[in-house]
Amino acid sequence: MLRITGGKVYDPANNINGQIKDICISDGRIVSEVEGGRTIDATGMIVFPGGVDVHTHVAGAALNFARAMIPEDHRRNAPYVRGERHRGGIGGATPTTYVTGYLYAGMGWTTVNEAAVPILSARHTHEELRDTPIVDKSCCVLLANNEILLDLLEAGETERARHVAAWQIWAAKAYGVKAVNPGGVAAWKWGKDAKGLYEPVPGYNKVTPAKIIAALASIVDDLGLPHPLHLHCNNLGAPGNYNTTLETMKVLEGKRAHLAHLQYHAYGGDDWFTMRSKSAEVADYFNAHPNLTTDAGAVLFGNTVTITADGPWQHLLYKLTGRKWGNLDVENETGCGIVPYVYKEKNLVNAVQWAVGLELLLLINDPWRVFLTTDHPNGAAFWRYPEIIQLLMDVNFRREQLKKLAPKALKRILLPELDRQYTLSEIAVITSAGPARALGLAHKGHLGIGADADVAIFNDSKDIARMFAYPRYVIKGGEVVIEEGEIRKAVEGRGYVVRPVYDEKIEDYIRPLFQQYYTMSFDNYPVELERLENPDIRSC
Amino acid sequence: MGGKVTCTLGEVKNRADLIVYWGGNPAECHPRHFTKYTLTQKGKFVPKGRKDRTMILVDIRETPSAKAADIFLQVRPSKDFEVLTTLRALIKGQRVSAETVAETGLTLEQLQDFAERMKKARFGVLFFGMGLSMTRGKHMNSAALLSLAAELNAFTKFVAMPMRGHGNVTGGDVVMRWTTGYPFGVNLSRGYPRFNPGEFSTVDLLLRGDNDAALILGADPGATMPQPAIDHLARIPTIVLDPKVTHTSRLARVHITTAATGISAPGTVYRMDEIPLPLRPALKSPYPTDEDVVRRIYKAVAKKPAWFPGTK
Repeated sequence: MLRITGGKVYDPANNINGQIKDICISDGRIVSEVEGGRTIDATGMIVFPGGVDVHTHVAGAALNFARAMIPEDHRRNAPYVRGERHRGGIGGATPTTYVTGYLYAGMGWTTVNEAAVPILSARHTHEELRDTPIVDKSCCVLLANNEILLDLLEAGETERARHVAAWQIWAAKAYGVKAVNPGGVAAWKWGKDAKGLYEPVPGYNKVTPAKIIAALASIVDDLGLPHPLHLHCNNLGAPGNYNTTLETMKVLEGKRAHLAHLQYHAYGGDDWFTMRSKSAEVADYFNAHPNLTTDAGAVLFGNTVTITADGPWQHLLYKLTGRKWGNLDVENETGCGIVPYVYKEKNLVNAVQWAVGLELLLLINDPWRVFLTTDHPNGAAFWRYPEIIQLLMDVNFRREQLKKLAPKALKRILLPELDRQYTLSEIAVITSAGPARALGLAHKGHLGIGADADVAIFNDSKDIARMFAYPRYVIKGGEVVIEEGEIRKAVEGRGYVVRPVYDEKIEDYIRPLFQQYYTMSFDNYPVELERLENPDIRSC
Repeated sequence: MGGKVTCTLGEVKNRADLIVYWGGNPAECHPRHFTKYTLTQKGKFVPKGRKDRTMILVDIRETPSAKAADIFLQVRPSKDFEVLTTLRALIKGQRVSAETVAETGLTLEQLQDFAERMKKARFGVLFFGMGLSMTRGKHMNSAALLSLAAELNAFTKFVAMPMRGHGNVTGGDVVMRWTTGYPFGVNLSRGYPRFNPGEFSTVDLLLRGDNDAALILGADPGATMPQPAIDHLARIPTIVLDPKVTHTSRLARVHITTAATGISAPGTVYRMDEIPLPLRPALKSPYPTDEDVVRRIYKAVAKKPAWFPGTK
């Protein structure tokens, strides 16, 4: 039992905006009243619901591939030294699993959604998530380049495709469906890409990216999954790609969708030399279409490593940077590319990217539909979120930062003209209440009676980046996990899984195809439920 | 330079029309490789199986794998790096003199043909074995081959994969990466992982005599390591966990017989392409599993006062 008293509470889901109010906790939930137990005096502090990351890459084959590729980054960053209550490890762009849990919790984040999981290696992803302490976890399975599904779409068998997709979601023990560069990754298997939304995907006659997007969004809606289709649009990172993004949003009319890392999809210009921000065009359309949510995928300057299922884009990035390149094509399903990258202030393209991320957060007027992410580790490591919060809340600080850009860059962006400043309540929305709602996690992202007792308590300070980087207390599931800058208890998190309804006979259809095209036994393909730590299954 | 352009084995099965094995002898070392993944399987885009595929073998001697190959290229020992560098030049259309090529044991025509075949392949794959990665030039050889595969993607689809084996070495590598950030050669003595192959790798620690105890799991260094390393293992308290008595068991202070993983103990094994497979035991064993034993050792050690960095 626990009482938090004297703090200013920001609980936007329950219309509480900075009132001083007691929060009572019992058995891991928020309750109306407790007798006895510990009391935390939060006078002079602010109380937030625990952070929820809607889009991050913290576990799985691709991230683990990246870990092997950047020992120099591990060495450059401060190590995490073993202590009585926590393990040692590595921070940096691709923290080790235990440290990932500590760093998220250490920043007040208590739920994360791993955004890209191939079915074939989902077992590995779940093993890593199991070794990621404190935070609750969910993951999205990659389906937009799955050849069994694409072949069904080619044949016009949408009904069967729905059953196959539902079977695949459960096989991967996933919570949602992710689509990455629909058709483009399948084309990459022959070294090609899918750039035109209405052009057939190489190797197919009828399947186009638009068709895949529409079909998957409908499948997700029909199955009634709590989280809408999680979509990484075609043409990521390419100058002029805002047209593709606008077209994609039109395809999605009448359907729910979450557009991942919108920053990478809002560029104008014809090439790298003329690239400019088109955040206003993208934000205008987005504002008018409440069926959509998005996350920023903001960029911060510095070293990182880019990891995406978008193989063709990573090949291009390798050719541009001449640095290391990792590529891993996953049979019949997806792929991934890895390129270490440095975002530089004086680089025109990077300056535009930095600005576009912030512009989208400022131009999208409903904070309930745009969430704070860096597409970790693509735009920056997640542990740099407090820096973005500072940029959003303090227009003067933003102006200072703009001075570091090349003067030429200022003509390509809108950021200098934007003077909106986020309020604390809006920050609570984009970091917690909004993403929890988009993920369909009704007991997360708020502090109402019955909610999970995931609470972050920060100093109420003028130094925004610092106060959000070092919470005074973090409570996860009713347990104080962070206090006085130390880990007090590394509790185990839960794993959220959905179990959609499908015709059991669909296995008879999948099995022979699987035996023909894959290289493992069919019985070894689905992830055993026992691989998950504390699974929390939603039937739908 | 750096990184790795690769895929899972099913991609090779379904697509590869050019298969190169370099410094390896799959016919004897990975006997199911040809039939399960690479040569004889009929794939989605190579419907005629073996007839749709070309296999090239590069090695210093004619091993039994050469019988399976369409083309066998016999390189002079320790000249692999030179051959790889020449191929990287040839695919980019750079000039190469016939005399420089001659010292590799191959002719310029052979290498030009090889380069052309790689560029013209629809989907090419380079498998490389310890004959490349553990001979003169070592990691520089691997880097040259991985670079060649990466650079070929300017022309066509090309991937590379090491021919790993020796039980679940890939699984060890994968788990080390997510727990410590590094694949092997990790030192935890300062309370956080440090990586330095050549300093912290097993053989180097043993040769210097840095460690004062050893726990050996699923390996037999007593049979494979240099004599001075073996001598050190015999000097210190060495504990071996293995289903059978190994060379290392004979020089160890303690040998604990454990159930054979995959036969009488469950677990997970990672294939050479890093795909995890569950292991379901077919038999029962009177012996404990490796996991059991390690947990019990850990429990006993945990009763002792803990040491943390910064404390005495």
